[in-house]
Amino acid sequence: MSLRDLYTQYNERVQFLVIYIREAHPEDGWSLGKLSRLGKLPGKLGGLAGHVKQGIYDPQTIEERRKVAGMCETALQYGIRTYVDEMDDEVMTAYAAMPDRLYLIGLDGRVVYAGGQGPFGFKPAELKEAIDAYLSQEKG
Amino acid sequence: MTKPNQSLKSQRAWQRRYEPLAPKVGDVAPDFELRDVNGENAVRLSDFRGKKPVALVFGSFT
Repeated sequence: MSLRDLYTQYNERVQFLVIYIREAHPEDGWSLGKLSRLGKLPGKLGGLAGHVKQGIYDPQTIEERRKVAGMCETALQYGIRTYVDEMDDEVMTAYAAMPDRLYLIGLDGRVVYAGGQGPFGFKPAELKEAIDAYLSQEKG
Repeated sequence: MTKPNQSLKSQRAWQRRYEPLAPKVGDVAPDFELRDVNGENAVRLSDFRGKKPVALVFGSFT
């Protein structure tokens, strides 16, 4: 179950907000490039586009961050709009979302599903189960 | 302060610090307003209250 599958299946009934946050593995930080080149990366690692992207540096301004977010949005290839966290990382911090994370928020504004911290807690299949359960409860 | 993406150690330290503050099932989700990759089309989480459930997908390119 990929994010693209989820979006395709549910986007008419669920609002998807992709939120681009601070780069998890920039070249000038905790880069995974060397491990990736050696083929030693666990399969779970990789950004929103589903693979380890190399050559990305940690954006230092909001303009740089928007530019990289735009590249990421293009790589996602399913037309979903990406929103960009500000340089103070306020939203990322409020949701403890680094390096990646999934949530489902109900109609009342409360958390219905809180996924674990990525990469190992990033489970689109779990989000699907939560969406199915929530939508069926809504019907009932 | 060390950036959370500087090393595995710094990322783990960041996670240990902020994980206890993450919203849990049943909590009111923290509201926010963000703009798209062009700095336009501002969206607020609360815009969808009473209209549609919202899936939040956090991540980066790497």
